[in-house]
Amino acid sequence: MDRRLFLRCVGCSSAIAAASHSGLWPEFLGGIQNVCAFDSAAGLSSVEARYYKKLEEGGIECELCPRKCRITDLERGYCGVRENRGDVYYTLVYGRPCSMNIDPIEKKPLYHFYPGTTAFSLATAGCNVNCKFCQNWEISQARPEQVDNIELPPSGVIDICKQRSVPIIAYTYSEPIIFYEYMYDIAELGHKHSIKSVMITGGYIERRPLADLFPHMDAIKVDLKSFREDYYKKIVNGTLKPVLDALVQIKKAGVWLEIVYLVVPTLNDSDEEFSDLARWIKSNLGLDTPIHFSRFHPQYLLRHLPPTPLKTLERAHAICRAEGLQFVYLGNVPGHAAESTYCPGCGEVLIERRGYHIVRNTLKGNRCGHCDRTIPGLF
Amino acid sequence: MSRVVVVKHESAISGEPLPVGSYMNMLKEALTVLTGEMEDLASVRKLLPRGAVGMKTNCLTGKLNSTPVALVNALSGILEDAGWNANDIVVWERTNRELQKAGFKLNASSFGRRCLGTDANGVGYSTRFYSAGESSSLVSRILEKVVTVNINMPVLKDHSIAGLSGGLKNMFGAINNPNKYHDNNCDPHAAEVSMMDPIRSRNRLTVMDAVQVQFQNGPGYDQRFLVRYGGIILSDDPVAADRIGLEIVERLRNKGGLPNLAEAGRPATYLRTAEKLGLGVATMSGIDLKVLAVDNKGHARPGKLL
Repeated sequence: MDRRLFLRCVGCSSAIAAASHSGLWPEFLGGIQNVCAFDSAAGLSSVEARYYKKLEEGGIECELCPRKCRITDLERGYCGVRENRGDVYYTLVYGRPCSMNIDPIEKKPLYHFYPGTTAFSLATAGCNVNCKFCQNWEISQARPEQVDNIELPPSGVIDICKQRSVPIIAYTYSEPIIFYEYMYDIAELGHKHSIKSVMITGGYIERRPLADLFPHMDAIKVDLKSFREDYYKKIVNGTLKPVLDALVQIKKAGVWLEIVYLVVPTLNDSDEEFSDLARWIKSNLGLDTPIHFSRFHPQYLLRHLPPTPLKTLERAHAICRAEGLQFVYLGNVPGHAAESTYCPGCGEVLIERRGYHIVRNTLKGNRCGHCDRTIPGLF
Repeated sequence: MSRVVVVKHESAISGEPLPVGSYMNMLKEALTVLTGEMEDLASVRKLLPRGAVGMKTNCLTGKLNSTPVALVNALSGILEDAGWNANDIVVWERTNRELQKAGFKLNASSFGRRCLGTDANGVGYSTRFYSAGESSSLVSRILEKVVTVNINMPVLKDHSIAGLSGGLKNMFGAINNPNKYHDNNCDPHAAEVSMMDPIRSRNRLTVMDAVQVQFQNGPGYDQRFLVRYGGIILSDDPVAADRIGLEIVERLRNKGGLPNLAEAGRPATYLRTAEKLGLGVATMSGIDLKVLAVDNKGHARPGKLL
């Protein structure tokens, strides 16, 4: 990849319907002068998907996520990026990212995974759920032809990382499960070049594709959106159970795991729900699993709700700490003490953070610099 | 009562595509019967207020079974005869590519009848969401900003999830996120999408092509389950037009020895939802159905639905 293309890639931001914000559209027909024929579909990939089966009665069933879409000829799955063509299922977004940037790893957020490093972060269009609070809905809820994509094969991603000395690749912004094949191939190639991979996901995935990914994935952050099925049904348009199953599967596989819980006022912020969540993590994942309570800002289809009050986040923090969880963080509240990592043994500050910036790191390898206790994670 | 007119053409029984002239005869007959006017141009003026008029096609299957170019040309001709300027007519679909594959010639210039997809450079989707019930979408700016009236021009088909692909389902091609709306046999979404303001306020007429009908394995193309029905369906009630389309598909399935759509696990329940929302009539007893047969000279006589 040459410098010009790289700069274009890294500066690329999401844009639904390339022209929809262009301001060029005239009010009446007589003024259509900036419209031209543009074959957006020509920019899509045609790579066969890896997890699906052909149905006897015709059509296919996708086996990538628990939605298990049944799709007949010329139709697409819920994600909008996989299409049945003559009962062969194709991913349309292999090597077609629409959003890229080099981010601090803390932005993911991953707080116990090489703090202070950067990650080349990328996404394609599409998502297998439809969260009413999505902050990246312009790409996650779009079909690939509705956004600006560039052609970037896995080798191109590795080239960028090497040129920029970026040690980690993050599959993020939208939902990487829906660009699984692309993510898998990048991650596999990345390991051959000593570049690590992290997946930032909603965790709504079938067991087999998740298991197949583990050898190539160094850390996974799961957005657990609520601890109630009803919320998943009404707000996420998914189901909770498969996400909990995925969390347990990741933990058992030994892949580094952190959880984010976006606290949405009035919808998933009760004491009971926080308590249930804390107890479940304690029983199924262990007390040393980091959880981040993130502040909601009005977005997408939940613009009528206020931002999460700080007191609500602090209440969630207190409930989880009282339950014994050792690494409870607050997110989107720059400067708050709960952004930092504390030693569960002696209580000393191990990593002091301000937003995405690390102010101080007193860890000695993976041990507390004060009491020598082992701190879970990869440092 | 909502009136629906089905006009069949005697020469449409053969496998040849219908020419523009045949479609024109069918349209003229259908328009006068639908409105009760004496002549077709007055009918069009009665149905459609003056202004930019859109024609939303369905081009999913390319040239195999999409909205016929000849049907669109015939309707354009009638509009122009009734006083519309070609500059005020926009033939549109989701994408340029789909239009081209179905045989349409793109025209994004400032002159003549326009033909373009929502993905054409400079078009795109609305910047605000339109909502109805559980559904929230961005709507094509062709519909939102350009046309003041829309003619919905679907193709009558079976649909593997929704049961029926007709006029309401065709409006999935006017929004940014149709893939999110296929749960529960597209119910209530297929009804709610047509309730969204720019869609409901613009849609004035449904002209559904039923010259060939895919009664199984739709909405894709499967020649084994395609029959020459030889007709078009017109109504100013989008739900009633679909209800008659459903009746035709169900009867064709019955004739072909197939289970009905409910037994096949895809009842078109969204039509009843649309009726409850006040979008139109989905009950057969509330529909005034007129069926006509037109010969090559343009003479019409009473016909049978099937």
